[in-house]
Amino acid sequence: MNTVKLYIRSMSMLIKSQLQYPLSFFMQTIAQLIMEGGEMMAVILIVNRFEEVQEWTGGDLFFFFGMMSVSFYLTELFGRGITGDFPSMVRSGRLDTFLVRPRGVLTQVICGGVDPRRITCIAVGVAALVMGSRMSAILWTPLKVLALTESIAMSCLLIMGLFMIEAIFCIHSVKSVELVNALTYGGRSACQYPIDIYPRPLRMLFTVIAPFALTLHVPAAWILGKPLYGLPTWTAFVTPLSGIVVFVLMTFLFHRGIRFYRSTGS
Amino acid sequence: MSFIEVDDLKKSFIVRKKREKGKLFREKQTVEALKGVSFEVEKGDLVGYIGPNGAGKSTTVKILSGILTPDGGEASVGGRVPWQDRKEYVKHIGVVFGQRSQLWWDVPIIDSYSLLKDIYKISKSDYESRLKELSEALQLEELMRTPLRLLSLGQRMRAELCGSLLHRPELLFLDEPTIGLDAVSKLALRDFLKWENREYGTTIMLTTHDMEDIAALCSRVMVLGHGKKLFDGKLPDLLEKFDTIRTVSVKYETDDPVLDMPESVKTGRNGDEIVITYSPKEFPTPELLKALQNAGKIREMTLQPENIDHLIASMYKEMDL
Repeated sequence: MNTVKLYIRSMSMLIKSQLQYPLSFFMQTIAQLIMEGGEMMAVILIVNRFEEVQEWTGGDLFFFFGMMSVSFYLTELFGRGITGDFPSMVRSGRLDTFLVRPRGVLTQVICGGVDPRRITCIAVGVAALVMGSRMSAILWTPLKVLALTESIAMSCLLIMGLFMIEAIFCIHSVKSVELVNALTYGGRSACQYPIDIYPRPLRMLFTVIAPFALTLHVPAAWILGKPLYGLPTWTAFVTPLSGIVVFVLMTFLFHRGIRFYRSTGS
Repeated sequence: MSFIEVDDLKKSFIVRKKREKGKLFREKQTVEALKGVSFEVEKGDLVGYIGPNGAGKSTTVKILSGILTPDGGEASVGGRVPWQDRKEYVKHIGVVFGQRSQLWWDVPIIDSYSLLKDIYKISKSDYESRLKELSEALQLEELMRTPLRLLSLGQRMRAELCGSLLHRPELLFLDEPTIGLDAVSKLALRDFLKWENREYGTTIMLTTHDMEDIAALCSRVMVLGHGKKLFDGKLPDLLEKFDTIRTVSVKYETDDPVLDMPESVKTGRNGDEIVITYSPKEFPTPELLKALQNAGKIREMTLQPENIDHLIASMYKEMDL
């Protein structure tokens, strides 16, 4: 409970700090809107041009895009400490100051960053979800709402876990590893479309290593009333749990990594 | 059992060298930052820890504050091992890094303190009384609503000290606390540290390059070089051991006094002053005085205290650091 309170207080303080520079904050929020709006335009163009991609309709495409946007930018909004600021925390020695305080390092890292500018990206994502839901005429039931919530929550944990790989590398070599971005940002770009449009190796990558297919595509297919790749209904609620598995595994490795932390400079 | 016990502490880092031409991989090199350092510190002591850059001072502090895990050796502070059960251990220590801030940059410092209250789970009454006392002692009352980034370096250091002492640590580590401070700030900081040490018996261990810090604060000084402890004792003893050269300036009533000095003593002129540098080991001070008086009637004489920085530099040189 205390940790939740600490998190909320840290967030409010960080937001207060960012609002110290209101113009910069405002401009960057607008820039985010334009960026994510551009991504959405790409989907709109595809839908206009093809109407259907394999068996997926335009509405389905918007729905997938919306789910990914909301998950990814929620993670970036609340988990900025891991998704963006961690390398600089190591370089600047802020990690050292976390280590001399009686709280979990990961807790402090997550409490150490927030990115409220992402709110516009989330708004775009929500808009896409609503559009997709309308166009594909989804009949919402409580179970479907539950599936959507679970899917987004688990995708957030998965994205967090993937960014933690970068953090773990960063603890060891004090430099960020760009390769991991292939899984995080690459995963976002690729998996905002239905997974079955990709060749087998890519499908395997996003099922086994970075299981977006399990946290996002399986429940989304079920919500959209698709045959769920031939699997029974309950799988739509079970497969997303792979997100928390990745997160727990990475948390464990992160803590092991901290034991080998070597700190910088004096 | 002493409050801090360090026995044969070792730590080495693997440094990757730049890749040489014609080689596929970068070579690795092991740098031994600490090669077996041992010492004990009693509760309530104020200990200075000096040595040239790269001697292993910060490494020791980082190990004792639980940031780094050593490769070998043992250490305990108040019966706890710093690198085991970190969260429990760090409740009892405070750390101030001279060159990195522990407070939040863009918010008023009072907000930082109130977040630290949550982090350390300090009770409301404890927090309020401690904050009041510290802000008075550190003269922070008027700065409480100012964001950290708008404070001067001296003010910032005072704010950092307040933040690191809110939870009443038994042991305070200071890593180069006076770096970059002006004379007034330095004096105020030293006074405060003495007060905190006297009032609460807080054990203080500081690393510094400023010998005045040591002279003003520390009853005991440890010298570290090349990862080894080279000296451990009182500052006057250290000074005596390496006190090699002194300077005396003399003015005579007469214009051309004839000085009869041995060859080891150098004499020079600075206007109407005669500047004499000598080593008390080779030519004892009473004999020098006798020789000076024999030369004529002295009008004025100043004995310059040895510059501690010079002394330390010559000490490092002698110890081959």
